[in-house]
Amino acid sequence: MNRLVCPFCGARELEEFLFHKTLPEAGASEYSAVYERTNRLDDSLEHWQHVHGCRAWLEVRRNPSSGDVLEIRMIGGGRN
Amino acid sequence: MSAASPRYSAWSLLRARLAGEGFWQPLWSGARLKDGYDVVVVGAGGHGLATAYHLARDHGIKRVAVLEKRLVGYGNVGRNTTIVRSNYLLPENHYFYEDSLRRWERLSRDLNYNVMYSPRGVLDLALSDGEMIGLARRGNAMRLAGIDAELLDRPGVMKFAPELAAAGPRRFDIVGGLLQPRGGTVRHDAVAWGYARAASALGVDIIEDCEVQGVRTAAGVATGVETTRGFVGAGRIVFAVAGHTGAVGRMLGLNLPVETHLLQAMVTEPIKPLIGSVLIYVPPHGEVYVTQSDRGGVVMGGFLDGFPSYTREGQWYRLEDVVGAAVALLPQIASLRILRHWAGTNDMTMDGSFIIDRLRHDNVFLNGGWCYGGFKAIPASGAACATFVATGTAPDLIRAHNLGRFASGHLLDERGGGPFPVRQ
Amino acid sequence: MRFSFDGREFLGQRGDTLASALLANGVTLLGRSVKYRRPRGLLALGPEEPNALMTVGETPTVIPNVPAPQLVLRDGLNARSQNRWPSLRFDVASLLQAGGGFFGAGFYYKTFIWPSWRAYEGLIRNLAGLGEAPGAAAIPPPSIEHLACDVLVGGGGAAGLGAALAAARAGASVVLCEREPELGGELDFETATVNGASASDWIGAVRAELAGRGARVLTDATVIGGSDGLVIVHQVPGGLAGRDSMYRVRPRRFVIAMGAVERPIAFTDNDRPGVMLLGAAERLMVRYGVATGQRPLVFGNHDRIYAAAARLVGRGIRPVAVIDTRAGATTESAALARHRSVLERAGVLCLAAHAVLSVDGRGGVRAATVAPLRTPGAARRIECDCVLVSGGWSPSVHAGLHEGGERRYLEGNGAFIAASQPEWRLCAGAANGALELAAALAEGFAAGERAAREAGAAQGAGPVPVASGDPEPRLVPFWRSPASIAAEKRQFVDLQNDVTVADLRQALAEGFVDIEHVKRYTTLGVGTEQGRTGGALGAGILAELKGETLGSVGASRTRPPYHPLTLAAIVGHRAGQQLRVLRRTPLHEWHEANGGVLEPAEFWMRTRYYRANGIDAFAAGIVEADRVRKHGGVVDGSTLGKIEVAGADAARYLDRLYLSKASTIKVGRSKYMVNLREDGMVLDDGIVLRLAEDRFLATTGSGHAEHMLAHFERYRDTEWSGAEVALANVTEAWGVIVAAGPASRAALGAALGPEWTARIGQLAHMEFADGMHGGAELRVLRASFSGELAFELHCRPGLTVGLWQGLVEAGLPPYGLEALDILRVEKGYLVGSEMNGQTTPGDLGMDGLLKLGNPCVGVALLDRPAFREPSRPKLVGLKATDGKAVILGGAQITRASAPSRSLGYITSSAYSPALGEWIALALVARSDAAEGMNLVARDPLRGGDVPVRVTAPVHFDPGAERMKS
Repeated sequence: MNRLVCPFCGARELEEFLFHKTLPEAGASEYSAVYERTNRLDDSLEHWQHVHGCRAWLEVRRNPSSGDVLEIRMIGGGRN
Repeated sequence: MSAASPRYSAWSLLRARLAGEGFWQPLWSGARLKDGYDVVVVGAGGHGLATAYHLARDHGIKRVAVLEKRLVGYGNVGRNTTIVRSNYLLPENHYFYEDSLRRWERLSRDLNYNVMYSPRGVLDLALSDGEMIGLARRGNAMRLAGIDAELLDRPGVMKFAPELAAAGPRRFDIVGGLLQPRGGTVRHDAVAWGYARAASALGVDIIEDCEVQGVRTAAGVATGVETTRGFVGAGRIVFAVAGHTGAVGRMLGLNLPVETHLLQAMVTEPIKPLIGSVLIYVPPHGEVYVTQSDRGGVVMGGFLDGFPSYTREGQWYRLEDVVGAAVALLPQIASLRILRHWAGTNDMTMDGSFIIDRLRHDNVFLNGGWCYGGFKAIPASGAACATFVATGTAPDLIRAHNLGRFASGHLLDERGGGPFPVRQ
Repeated sequence: MRFSFDGREFLGQRGDTLASALLANGVTLLGRSVKYRRPRGLLALGPEEPNALMTVGETPTVIPNVPAPQLVLRDGLNARSQNRWPSLRFDVASLLQAGGGFFGAGFYYKTFIWPSWRAYEGLIRNLAGLGEAPGAAAIPPPSIEHLACDVLVGGGGAAGLGAALAAARAGASVVLCEREPELGGELDFETATVNGASASDWIGAVRAELAGRGARVLTDATVIGGSDGLVIVHQVPGGLAGRDSMYRVRPRRFVIAMGAVERPIAFTDNDRPGVMLLGAAERLMVRYGVATGQRPLVFGNHDRIYAAAARLVGRGIRPVAVIDTRAGATTESAALARHRSVLERAGVLCLAAHAVLSVDGRGGVRAATVAPLRTPGAARRIECDCVLVSGGWSPSVHAGLHEGGERRYLEGNGAFIAASQPEWRLCAGAANGALELAAALAEGFAAGERAAREAGAAQGAGPVPVASGDPEPRLVPFWRSPASIAAEKRQFVDLQNDVTVADLRQALAEGFVDIEHVKRYTTLGVGTEQGRTGGALGAGILAELKGETLGSVGASRTRPPYHPLTLAAIVGHRAGQQLRVLRRTPLHEWHEANGGVLEPAEFWMRTRYYRANGIDAFAAGIVEADRVRKHGGVVDGSTLGKIEVAGADAARYLDRLYLSKASTIKVGRSKYMVNLREDGMVLDDGIVLRLAEDRFLATTGSGHAEHMLAHFERYRDTEWSGAEVALANVTEAWGVIVAAGPASRAALGAALGPEWTARIGQLAHMEFADGMHGGAELRVLRASFSGELAFELHCRPGLTVGLWQGLVEAGLPPYGLEALDILRVEKGYLVGSEMNGQTTPGDLGMDGLLKLGNPCVGVALLDRPAFREPSRPKLVGLKATDGKAVILGGAQITRASAPSRSLGYITSSAYSPALGEWIALALVARSDAAEGMNLVARDPLRGGDVPVRVTAPVHFDPGAERMKS
């Protein structure tokens, strides 16, 4: 894994993106959302930002064991 | 149990030469997996082996097994930059790591195995007067605890590490530094092998190629582990699995405050002695620690790849970052060549400090969350964790490193990075 | 060409390598081994050469460990051998050889324990290490090029050329990289033909056709590694770092055709100079016209030893013997029969089912002891002057093993290939185990055609070139000759690290059974040649010692880089001053021209003080700060982070990010605001200006703007999507000048003219005015970070210098960061030293803000028990009890009665010219933070203990009269 396909910009080098955090399970408490991680070996739902690109926030579903990107979508409509 | 490994010394080498074949014995191995144990330790890395060793040595627990998925010492204990130090800011951390450093100082003798503890000094470099204040804060905290620390001005840095004087003005130049003279390096593989040998000699069964896949429970108590080689009964279970701590949480139905990230390190071709100590250089948005192995290779490590991963394949751009900082610090190494480059999987916690605590059940223990500070902690971790497991009470040294601290707010956040492993 | 080696002058030919030139000059002793210091000659011609490593250049700008066979000779080249003292011929440490059995695998783990490792370490470090350590930067940064293509072919031998040709004919864009200076790989040594033409003619034709079809051919260029579609290629012309180029290639398909590395066979004293790989010796002769010896003995385990021996005869060198480990039962191919008859006619002794047991000679080979494998006792001595050995070929498949690739064992090759490949990679040729020329070429061609098709090229590649050359070598794996246990100590497996068969045997005896353990314990294959020769041989011998197949023993995991890569090549241009971007404020040149001392602050350069005001920051800072309080001054605030927030939901949105509400700010006014991290810790503070009903300017700490913008964007896009808010980082769109001090209002009036004088005169504290000045926008905000009457001027960068100059001329002298810091410590204002990610708003005395009860980000997690405990820190002021002593940031605070228990620490301190004493801000446990408490500031690092008294954090003008004046 050394590239991500930004829905807006297309395939870009990974260094253009910034990982923010893995997402909590639905209904997690505030504490759990901040401190706890689901740690799934094959399926990680994450927030990234295309920070050195269009600056869109992305929801990325990845397999952290293989590095494969399973799904990627823009959140918030990619404003600005 | 295998035939005893002979006591090591220069004399033993001479005797071996005369005796020929058959003199040396396996350091460990030969153990057959039994149906059950008093304690099953999962993971034959540094922490697991040290825990087993101390359970047998300090607490007389006879029936101890270490179950390892692959090979003794195949994980992070053999994939780090071999640095040992106790220059931590927070008392909860520096007392613990100082305990560890004192154990490092005598470990070769304790284990009768040369782990090559080299107190060459660990020097954190300050790049501004503001950073000097931060280092003074840390160094003074250490001195209050009786730990060695010296604050060096720029001439003091250049005198201690003359190799730093070879550079012209750096983009981020050196103002001074915090030196821990007793900090240094240890030969990493030797730690795993030395503990394995010593534990084995005390009767600990070290079982390789045995992956733990689940925990069996009855009436709220763990009764053993399910493995690729069948069920193994256990009175108590200790997980010391580094990058797979999060997966252990899942196994037990817990979302732990850990996340696995990659940390890269690399070594160059060997050269004659150039770097005499451990140098830590942190320009903005980067970090590198550099030392030179006894074999002559320049060893470098940096900061996390930046996102969760179990792949052990580091990102090229992070390699560029780390090497960039190293060459900024020591421009003369630019013509050296990288020979090997690797990545370890680090179980990062949400405050950057480790966790040793019970996990869900009274008789299941976690020794993990070592972030990238695991190697230097091994001797203290093994001793403290063994005491906890044997007595049921966490010793003072690790009492603050409990799992409940995140919820209670008793955070051990050395860097102030908050619940973002990448910033720890 | 003149060159020098170990101080002696030699002549060489253009096109020579250092190795070939030295051998041509009769120099065969080229290095010594690391551990036993045994004399060593040349083994191989590629980067796999373990022995002949040189330190090149003059001290201090040397380049160590350069393989002599890879270093192209240049006039004036100065090279030195390594691992010897005082000279290569006589080395004191070589006496260690006598202790061969003592220094077996891992001996250092068993001794040097008493008194301590440190007692031995210096000596051992000096003995270890290969070349001289560089003392100064020796090489310029390489160029870095990004390439994209349909098909990247790694390797320019038969398979690689075939692949490139097929892909180019199919219409694909092609990049071909070849490690050597010339294309052809092993092709040009064979009496081979392709499509009826000689191999060299065909190579020339392919090169021309590739050029005509627009393919890019990189020679001297090695594939370093590749994963997930990115391949790193390093080009080093002449084999010496300094003129290198890096390529980051993004191919659609990557054909791995990087050939195979010939491996030796272990026998007693197989490390002597004069024992060389057969292929290396042939290449030396063909390419450089250098004969390794006049009476060679050829030793191997496959058909090609006969072909090579026959070629030697053809070149006028009669081998003394050809020793084949295989039994004679193998069927004769036509080619083999031809070679045999040549050898027979020349009277060359050919022995099947025999092996070389050992060689005689120290600095060179005098004779070989040869014996039948069934009856090793029946040995005979054959005089010879070199042994040319070939134990087969190990595919260079490393690039095919990244991304978790598995290996597959090929019994016929005694070697591993990549088992399967991700979609974007294909392996072909010798790298894939195809050792026969025609098969390798066909495989390469097919791979190139397939790669092109998969990359979207539509045309056909046409017919496969028909090659004829040496047939299958029909190799039977053979790893080591029989030897006594004692002699195994001289059967070398890894020559660079002096790993012997005895070491492998010992490792097994000690329980290091897995190949990974053996590698780590014995250091097998961890040298500069990265196990290319020794690793393969070691695995084979290990299998034999364990009584297992090599397939089950496996090979140790390879890691990138496949080829050693200079740090300079990795760093590229981001070296020296280019390490990070450099940000200059619009006033940068003014500061430099006017005695400003600039220091980096994150990426920015900021002025610490002005030289005219003192000899150092401490002295000048006091003068400058004092002047601000007494009169006034200007400071460059351009680095202040500025984020513009606009849109219908802007106010409500900001309310959720800050402890206090933005929606209550009136247009034209501003407010000091604080925001929190998710976990409740203070993140940043700043003044928020309401520019219009739906438009705000949020200022952030210097260097925080980018992080804060991402934070703002994240909440807008992920948490509260739907909010109508636009965000822009306008930090560098505005220059900022802060005019502070009692004289600032008048000076501003003088500099800006009557129109602004009136407006400024009416500005209340925290009020701002927008307008024009000099034809561009100007904003004047009345706000203070010094406690004085002060104004922030936000203007377009181009106007900043003029405005600044005007203010200076109007009587406001410049001051720097040092004075700024003194002024804010006097006032108890916060910076990153206090907002360090470890402090809550309660810790920092922001209880007033918390009481507003605004449920913004981070507030929820403040409700944790630890944050209410008496051990929690509180921001206080400190003064030395005696009013004189120096107190410094970083000192720890304790009670006098408990000197080793830290209660907190000094975050910032300053000598206050206004108060005439040292003052500090500190975070101290609430239990001990009451005003008037007597504590001790402990600073063992820099001084000693100073009794201190707790004060309010605001040391100066607690009623804030001055800034409201």
